[in-house]
Amino acid sequence: MDFVIEHLSKSYEKKNVLRDVSFSFKSGRIYGLLGRNGAGKTTLFNCINRDIESSGAFYFEENGLRREVKAEDIGYVLSTPTVPEFLTGREFLKFFIDINKDSIKNIRPLDEYFEYMSIAYDDRDKLMKDYSHGMKNKMQMLINIIARPNLLLLDEPLTSLDVVVAEEMKQLLRSLKGERVTIFSTHILDLALDLCDEIVLLSHGELEAVGKADLDSHDFKEKILAALREDEDD
Amino acid sequence: MINDFLISFSLKNTYRVNGIIYCLKQIPLLGRLLPSSLYGAGGLKLFAGILSALWEVISTFAGKLIYMSLIFFGVQMICEDTLLPEGGVFLHMLFFLTAAGALMNTYMFNPSNDKYYAMILMRMDAKRYTLTNYGYTVLKVIIGFIPAVLLFGMLLSVPLWLCMLIPVFIAAMKAAVAAAYLLIYEKSGKTFNENGPSAVIWIIVLLLFGAGCVLPAIGFIIPRPVLLTAAAAAVALGILSCMKIIRFGSYREMYRRILTTAKSQVRAKQTQTADRSRSFISAKGDISSSRTGFEYFNDLFIKRHRRILWRSALRQTAVCVCLVLAAVAGVALFPQVQEDVNDLLMVYLPYFVFIMYAINRGIGFTQALFMNCDHSMLTYSFYKQPKSILRLFVIRLRDIIKINLPPALVIGAGLSALLFVSGGTDNPLNYAVFVVSIAALSIFFSVHHLTMYYLLQPYNAGLEMKSGTYKIVSLITYFACFAFMQMRLPTFAFGVVAICFCVLYCIVASVLIYKLAPRTFRLRT
Repeated sequence: MDFVIEHLSKSYEKKNVLRDVSFSFKSGRIYGLLGRNGAGKTTLFNCINRDIESSGAFYFEENGLRREVKAEDIGYVLSTPTVPEFLTGREFLKFFIDINKDSIKNIRPLDEYFEYMSIAYDDRDKLMKDYSHGMKNKMQMLINIIARPNLLLLDEPLTSLDVVVAEEMKQLLRSLKGERVTIFSTHILDLALDLCDEIVLLSHGELEAVGKADLDSHDFKEKILAALREDEDD
Repeated sequence: MINDFLISFSLKNTYRVNGIIYCLKQIPLLGRLLPSSLYGAGGLKLFAGILSALWEVISTFAGKLIYMSLIFFGVQMICEDTLLPEGGVFLHMLFFLTAAGALMNTYMFNPSNDKYYAMILMRMDAKRYTLTNYGYTVLKVIIGFIPAVLLFGMLLSVPLWLCMLIPVFIAAMKAAVAAAYLLIYEKSGKTFNENGPSAVIWIIVLLLFGAGCVLPAIGFIIPRPVLLTAAAAAVALGILSCMKIIRFGSYREMYRRILTTAKSQVRAKQTQTADRSRSFISAKGDISSSRTGFEYFNDLFIKRHRRILWRSALRQTAVCVCLVLAAVAGVALFPQVQEDVNDLLMVYLPYFVFIMYAINRGIGFTQALFMNCDHSMLTYSFYKQPKSILRLFVIRLRDIIKINLPPALVIGAGLSALLFVSGGTDNPLNYAVFVVSIAALSIFFSVHHLTMYYLLQPYNAGLEMKSGTYKIVSLITYFACFAFMQMRLPTFAFGVVAICFCVLYCIVASVLIYKLAPRTFRLRT
């Protein structure tokens, strides 16, 4: 199954942030989305997630058949985790499963999900306003993966986590990549190279895959940096 | 020196001009026509620059004219009662009010943004910046006061030479206070922020204000020779103070402290909003819900926000019950007021539009919804699906109406009861009109606030109010309600029209919500 973007354009006033972007992402792979500050990474995600209006089409393509991307196809994890702070972790999970019970396959007991995310037993019944940053992030991730979305968008999700949680999350993402397209935006080149199967650059409002060919990791890094530096010259 | 002043003045001007353009961009429709590149465009910049220059001139003269005219009318009021000489009272009041004003309004100790930008961000030389700008401000004080003092002083037969000297005296007092604060800083390291004066300063200011206004009202003013001597001493002190201000060497260190604390206080206020709304969430362990889905979600929200949602509504209800009982008892006990009360009841219903507006908890409800719930939930796509938005809207509408209804029912029933004890009415439908129309008004405001919230969703992720349209609609709502307060209309007719309007509004609002909310109920970016 491929996730396809076709003719996506977005401009603010007169500035073209995304120019007629067309790209095809394959499932089972993690795509590292790299771009300079202000290149439009978050804008791209917001367009895909229909948070902002844009011209362009998004669809899944499987065996030559196309279908529109629906809201429930998408999981979107933001860099600053946002959870409803007036609920406990367990209540939030119960609520989410309640209203999505038709679309979630083989629902497990709640504690199993918490186990899976390594959220400690004591924390499950605490109000989320008292959760640490890392815990909120885990909760947000859990809610986003539980419905097994076909497309997982991650906007700088690991940058502010402590090393242990960050490592747990990386493992989790690797274990999840199987049946879906994962797009992971980051500023940290080493993280992208470590976690992602493909590197995609967003520059001049266009998406461009960087082929690794037979470069070693040092040369590959240099190639990416050189491509991103070009931005400065124009 | 001149150069420093020009740089700082153009900096302040840029900041002001950009502020004006920003405000213009906030206006709906007009804002959409104006691109961001306007901040760099010549034409509008010139227009805003002219506005800014006009503001500079107006601020120099207008405030002082208003201030002097207030003193002028105060003097006339006092002299009517006490037979004191007008000129004498004028000088007396002016002397004490100037002293009070000098303490509160120094310019030098106002931690304004332009100072922060110039001295902290742009690292301009603090001493040269302060001296040139302070000099300019003192000049503005003197020049600004001349026409105002001349006009009102001459009207109160104060001699011309004295009128010309009064502005100098005012400037001297300001300089003396500024120098005193500088001395205090040198001796003790204490800084002063004129936007948050200490209790001591407040007491002194109140005493001075009292001496200026109360003493003449009870027939006592300080004789002119004493005042003139004191004023002359103040001018001499002012000149010495100017020397102190010029010689003072630690402006940089002092402003670094004044401006950074003022800035961090502003920043603290922003996180405070978030912390404050978080603190409304009740941590009681026994809260749970037996419902499912969105009902479960909403039920927990209402229960954990009981303190800000239900408690104040119940308090209002209790107060209304007491007022109603007191009014009914009063009317029953004093038959002589019955006829007047009955007449008032038959024309005063429009007044209750404003009352129902004022006691509606809708704004607090939507704020809590946003800060503690939608602000985070709107980042989840399942929550933004049209059917979710509409489902939750209906549940919330039901609850906001429920919360607002108890005081409304008490007021409506109370008005009917008052009508009954004050002599009744020949049309028994009037009793029903009170109850139903007040309830309808309450429902109307509940629907109105929630609809505005869903259609305009005015906040961004940083919890700031971003929608100019929302502000304008709120203002219009306020003024419309205020206008109703001035109207006297027959209760029956007005009540029936109000009921119909509310029903119609609810229908229109629901249609709009179903059509538009899935698109408009978003986080603002």
